[in-house]
Amino acid sequence: MNSYQQYIRNFCIIAHIDHGKSTLADRIIENTGLVSHREMKEQFLDNMDLERERGITIKLQTTRLIYKAKDGQDYIFNLIDTPGHVDFTYEVSRSLAACEGAVLIVDATQGVEAQTLANVYLALDEELEILPVINKIDLASARPEEAKLEIEDIIGIDAHDAPLISAKEGIGIEDVLEAIVEKIPAPKGNVEGKLKGLIFDSYYDNYRGVVIYTRIFDGSVKKGDMIRLMNTKKKYEVTEVGVYSPGPVPVSELTAGDVGYVSASIKQVADARVGDTITLDSDPTAEALPGYKKVQPMVYCGIYPAEGEKYENVKDALEKLQVNDAAFHFEPETSTALGFGFRCGFLGLLHMEIIVERLEREFNLGIITTSPSVIYKVVMNDGTVEMIQNPSNLPSLMEIDHIEEPIVKADVMIPKEYVGSIMEICQERRGKMLHMEYITETRVQLHYEMPLNEVIYDFFDALKSKTRGYGSLDYEFIRYEKSNVVKMDILLNKELVDAFSMIVHESKAYYRGRFVCEKLKEFIPPHQFEVPIQASIGQKVIARETVKAYRKDVLAKCYGGDISRKRKLLEKQKEGKKRMRQFGTVEVPQEAFTAVLKYDDNK
Amino acid sequence: MGLYIHIPFCMRKCNYCDFLSFGGVSEEEHKAYFLSLLHGIKGYDEIYSNKYYVDSIFIGGGTPSMVEAGLIEELMAGIHDSFIVDQNAEISIETNPKTLTKKKLNTYLEAGINRLSIGAQSFNDALLHTMGRIHSAEDFLDNYTLARECGFRNINIDLMFAIPGQRMSVWMDTLERAIGLEPEHLSFYSLQMEEGTPFYSMSKAGSITEIEDALDRNMYHSGVKALKNSGYQHYEISNAAKEGYQCRHNLKYWSMEDYLGLGLGAHSFIDGVRFSQTEELTAYTREGIWEEKGGAIVAWEQKNTRQDNISEYIITGMRKLDGLNLIDFERRFGQTIEGAFKANWNSLQKYIDDDYIVKTAGNMRFTMKGIDISNRILTEFV
Repeated sequence: MNSYQQYIRNFCIIAHIDHGKSTLADRIIENTGLVSHREMKEQFLDNMDLERERGITIKLQTTRLIYKAKDGQDYIFNLIDTPGHVDFTYEVSRSLAACEGAVLIVDATQGVEAQTLANVYLALDEELEILPVINKIDLASARPEEAKLEIEDIIGIDAHDAPLISAKEGIGIEDVLEAIVEKIPAPKGNVEGKLKGLIFDSYYDNYRGVVIYTRIFDGSVKKGDMIRLMNTKKKYEVTEVGVYSPGPVPVSELTAGDVGYVSASIKQVADARVGDTITLDSDPTAEALPGYKKVQPMVYCGIYPAEGEKYENVKDALEKLQVNDAAFHFEPETSTALGFGFRCGFLGLLHMEIIVERLEREFNLGIITTSPSVIYKVVMNDGTVEMIQNPSNLPSLMEIDHIEEPIVKADVMIPKEYVGSIMEICQERRGKMLHMEYITETRVQLHYEMPLNEVIYDFFDALKSKTRGYGSLDYEFIRYEKSNVVKMDILLNKELVDAFSMIVHESKAYYRGRFVCEKLKEFIPPHQFEVPIQASIGQKVIARETVKAYRKDVLAKCYGGDISRKRKLLEKQKEGKKRMRQFGTVEVPQEAFTAVLKYDDNK
Repeated sequence: MGLYIHIPFCMRKCNYCDFLSFGGVSEEEHKAYFLSLLHGIKGYDEIYSNKYYVDSIFIGGGTPSMVEAGLIEELMAGIHDSFIVDQNAEISIETNPKTLTKKKLNTYLEAGINRLSIGAQSFNDALLHTMGRIHSAEDFLDNYTLARECGFRNINIDLMFAIPGQRMSVWMDTLERAIGLEPEHLSFYSLQMEEGTPFYSMSKAGSITEIEDALDRNMYHSGVKALKNSGYQHYEISNAAKEGYQCRHNLKYWSMEDYLGLGLGAHSFIDGVRFSQTEELTAYTREGIWEEKGGAIVAWEQKNTRQDNISEYIITGMRKLDGLNLIDFERRFGQTIEGAFKANWNSLQKYIDDDYIVKTAGNMRFTMKGIDISNRILTEFV
């Protein structure tokens, strides 16, 4: 280890959603004097509006900080923030790989959660030093000693001297900083060796193209170097290297142990995939860093322009999002009901929601999304296999031998009083229990095998709702399994609306059919005629509701001379109509599309 | 020009009412309000070198008949000072049963008021009670008879239907008894649940049940039939009158004619500009406000665009059963109605084909079935 490396600490913070990760990051940044308290927006690292609003981190942000430790030395802290949701496990694992240590936040009022555990295991896989801290000790319901015991029992690491902190109140932050210096190892690596850098994130910048976040393990990289991406086998000339502090600051070179950025006029984020290794084209390293994998979408849905929205605008926006998000896929498709649109692939349901919200908010687009679907493996009579992610493309039953659906291993962590109700919702969703374990006296982990189809539908919402937010979930794909799934169609006024078609398990078809019909009845406004809503499998109708015809839509009194009021009412009504989508003779409000997918506690 | 005067006071607010009006206000405050109002009227005289010529006046509310008759007298005198009032002007006042006396009525007549609008609403005491009205059916009959005795020759009776709990027979009984009194004019409003009213929360809480649309429409159509059979002309969605007694003032609202509204929250439309007075009672009656503001407390103002004028011409004009004069439309706007709504004429044509609208070369109007869904159709024009 050289003297420069000795003063570097590369670490990340892992925590369950809401346990205070971003708040602690804010405090660390503040206490190292990089940004003054006044200038700080809450949750500095989460710079997307959406993230700040939802209190979750989607996209990684890396920041270099200078900390003057009690030993009188200045240390370089590279703080690597990680996303905190099941959909982004792979991104998390790569950013962990860039670190030597991880600060593990455990909420003193909640204890260890499934997502915390999942990330801790990822960190242990990467052989990181885990530095536990107990947060929210200022709250009356804090039980720091119990939280420590949980860490020791469940994770099996020593937590007796874990700093007790309140990130919100700024208590104990100094202890965390000192512990980072003392406990987290400095990076190793041969500065003179052949360049080996891990891409752990990347983003698209309008002026510089793709900017790669990298951790240099061996060697060094500087402006003008020709780099090679070992897995995608592409070559680029480096135009700039630097660090974020918090904005981009160019430096002359990045050397072994450093964390920083490299820009090299790369056009698409997909060309610089997370997990890939950069090396020098002229003097390459023999072996890429381990762990590279191309992430595959697990969930698909259709995205269509809403009434009055242009196809081209949606296309432009999707292209812009894709440039920045290697895990997001899309291709054009056509729906009889919705016209021209796109089939889009996501890592999971949250990923999907985020993309949809960004389209609406950042790009100000009106869009309609169709029922999300997993990828079904359809084995035809002649033995050929088709992968189907759009229910409308399901071949005729006559030609199909059988269908297989993806199964995941789902780990659910809950307080013990909810075991009964959670087992119930898992069973309702065709879950097979593998085993159950008491992690502590009050907390239980349930291990299930469950069809992904059930997980993406409303499982997460149901889990949160049934456990008052205390339940947590982690899942990973394990295999495809033969299954009795069928295609269920929805007919409005006798006409099939393909955008509502979904593939469901035979045993759930009646329940889902009834649910969708009831929801649509709630949302579809009265028409001049009666509108029957039907769910059907093939020719067989399995559920039916009717929207009665409306009879009256008239303003009896015109408020004196206040014509503007009347006009506003009509304009509002017209706006409402605009958000409607016409299917044959029936108008359906956009909200109906999301409503049929939402978990309903009353059902 | 029409002149509207708003009197925002009531004995108490009715359960369905979301108009700008206050119950339980003291006589001192009434006086303060009229002082401000008169300042406002004077203001108009002083601002414009020419006095406005006024051929209809409507004193509305609220319940203008609840304030002392002397105040109405002063008001009328103020109006005559500052405006040129046509000799044959229609001058109406809105009143409610139980607030009228012989003395009041005579004062009104002497002040030139020649049309009386009485809010009967229903002849069923239980329903009147539900609605939060302060009077009984008998109170109304007393006041009506008194008004006739004093010499009022032009009276409107306000009625409501689709009152929670009302049955068809009860509505028709009220209507027929009202017709039996032979008023010159009859208004019949479908009760609407307006957000923020007691009825609205009661209906949300389930303590009253909104009348179903089908029954509401049935009441409406039966009512119209009964009125027509008794010689009334159904001339506006919610209004019927004997020959020659259509409300000239209200027709101005529906024909894009100029009107000036004074008093709290009153709306005006003059020379293509819509504006309204403040809705803040304390601001309106604050001492010195008129000196500061120089004559009008305008809270909102909007110069209508051509498109605004086209929309309003249609949404107001279509309230009249005679509908729109399309030749007048073309003359005003320099294009045909089809030309103005080229983009969505297809949907409009469908309403014509399906018999919701009748359109001839010179006229466009709703059919009775078109009235039922008139809002939906009118959204095509905004």
